[in-house]
Amino acid sequence: MSGNPEDHFDMESLEDLKDIMEEDFQMLLDTFIADSEAKVEEIGNVISGGDAEALRQVAHSIKGSSGNVCATSLSEIARQLEAMGKDGDISGAPEVYEALKVEFAVTKDILLNKI
Amino acid sequence: MDKKSEKELVEAVDETLRILIADDNDSDRLILKTIVRKEGHTVYTACDGQEAIDAFKEQSPDLILLDALMPNVDGFEAARVITALAGDNLVPIIFLTSLKDAASLADCLAAGGHDFLSKPYNRIILKAKIQAFARMRRLHETVQDQRDKIIKHHDHLIHEQEVAKVVFDNIAHSGCVDAPNIKHLLSPMAVFNGDLVLAARKPNGGMFVFLGDFTGHGLPAAIGAMPVSEIFYGMAQKGFSLQDILREINNKLKRILPVGVFCCTCLVDFSFRNETAEFWLGGLPDVFVYRKDGTLENFGSQNLPLGVLGGDKFSTETRVIPMTKGDRFYMWSDGIFEEVNEKDEMFAEEGVRQAFEDNKDPEKFFDELIEAVAEYTNHAEQDDDHTIVEASMVAEEDLGEYFSERDSRSLIGGPPDWAMSYELRPLTLKEFNPLPLLTHLLMEVPGLRPHSGKIYTILAELYSNALEHGVLGLKSELKASPTGFAEYYGQRVSRLDELDVGSVTFHLDHKPWENGGRLTIRVQDTGPGFDHGDKDDNHKTAGYSGRGIPLINTMCESVRYLGNGNQVEVVFVWSFDG
Repeated sequence: MSGNPEDHFDMESLEDLKDIMEEDFQMLLDTFIADSEAKVEEIGNVISGGDAEALRQVAHSIKGSSGNVCATSLSEIARQLEAMGKDGDISGAPEVYEALKVEFAVTKDILLNKI
Repeated sequence: MDKKSEKELVEAVDETLRILIADDNDSDRLILKTIVRKEGHTVYTACDGQEAIDAFKEQSPDLILLDALMPNVDGFEAARVITALAGDNLVPIIFLTSLKDAASLADCLAAGGHDFLSKPYNRIILKAKIQAFARMRRLHETVQDQRDKIIKHHDHLIHEQEVAKVVFDNIAHSGCVDAPNIKHLLSPMAVFNGDLVLAARKPNGGMFVFLGDFTGHGLPAAIGAMPVSEIFYGMAQKGFSLQDILREINNKLKRILPVGVFCCTCLVDFSFRNETAEFWLGGLPDVFVYRKDGTLENFGSQNLPLGVLGGDKFSTETRVIPMTKGDRFYMWSDGIFEEVNEKDEMFAEEGVRQAFEDNKDPEKFFDELIEAVAEYTNHAEQDDDHTIVEASMVAEEDLGEYFSERDSRSLIGGPPDWAMSYELRPLTLKEFNPLPLLTHLLMEVPGLRPHSGKIYTILAELYSNALEHGVLGLKSELKASPTGFAEYYGQRVSRLDELDVGSVTFHLDHKPWENGGRLTIRVQDTGPGFDHGDKDDNHKTAGYSGRGIPLINTMCESVRYLGNGNQVEVVFVWSFDG
């Protein structure tokens, strides 16, 4: 998995967002990372617990917030988990969850160090 | 809305709004808050549905951006609660959602949302939506404002009309419309009524009943009723004739009403002594006379309504019909005739005739007719004012004493000690009725006011005796037979027409007397007089003509013939004790 920002972000929108947020941009990043860290961990828990509805809700939230910070890849993986939760079949979820954890680590790294 | 306010509405998009953002996701909330604040709006934030509801109560924001899925109370529930709290006010709610399926988006609107905004947020779309809803909110406020103004104006108008109606009713529906021989229904479409029912006792014991139907409804129609009532009651009380009253009302209405506004009218003069009804009908449906024996007669309008024709063209020609006790006279506005059933067919004259046919007890006819109309229209809202009047022929005694409306005034004051003479010469005798003027003059003495009916009767009898038997030399014996009666009146007209010499003179003298006053009326004519011997009341005649003097005898202190019988003097005494 490459740490190239273009492969993980909608860079054009991200630049816009940076312009809009100005001095608050860093706060946004901190907020997003803290919020997402908690949610990623929560997803691990709800998958172990087998709670499809909870998975749908938390994944939905990550999908939305990552989309808003232009993290398109992370948002896409969250969308897949949300769909599984919605279908009630979470047998494939642990595998996708691993991908989510990796993608979040890369996303976080890019946001903190490469933007 | 006028051009100016429309412009203001568009310009208003630049105004600063107070916007509540509710989103449980911290980063999303931060982004939105930043975007919205940069547009110059004031932002409040909430982290879930319950916080959103509390913030709404506290801040009453202009617009709400509401995340759909939130812990505790979700966006849908919050939207329902907030919409209910807002009541009549429009608080636009834009749902924030990353849901994409049609059903979920539809749910947002069903919950009371006005629009939705998809994540990730697009700044340009967000700005456009905020502006659009600011405009919508402004429009809603304008509409509400105008609605409130209309309600206020309407309430104000109704209140004014109700106050005015009290005044109007006092003027228009006073008199004796509640007399025992009258039944009437005034059924208005609005607070004010274009129909008018008036009734007044005449000083000679008779009664005038007036039904008027002005073109139109409501206030414009009712306003014409004011002068009509004033003239009617004023003149009826002073003893003017039906013709005088009609002419005066017609002139007045012709002068004041705009073209196309007029008053369909029936004016009836009931004489309870003679058992006749004299009436003038202009523009109203046929009047009906329902005899005690069950027979029915109807009479059509022969005149244009009041207020149409100018003085010369206006005809006061009337019909006189005999009515015996228990006969009933019906007049109505066209409202009831034009009531329609579900097939749009009018009640019409057939409906009225059917009601007569179905009637068993004349006493109940009035109520039956009203019920028949209501049933015909299946109790639908009426389309026009409708008014019905029933007036029965009764014995004068059944109506009680005649009291003019001035009774209640104090008996003190006025001229107590005076005398006058009033000589009427041929040209005046031909054209002029002196009785209203003399009655009016005598009523300046407050103590005589409760007796205005008697005074009028006395003056009327003495005057007609002096004019007809004295000046015109008519023989009262003629009146004993029906053919003679016609002959008598024929001669009266022709002799009056040819009259060039002669006069009737009233000598009136009023003095304070014991605990009240004493009025002496002496009427002198230029006729040859008659041999009255030494008796006080020896004017022996038969039939109608015989009623006068014995009647006067019962009313007065004394009745004396003087000179060669061409003078008669009556003395009328009144006291403060009544």
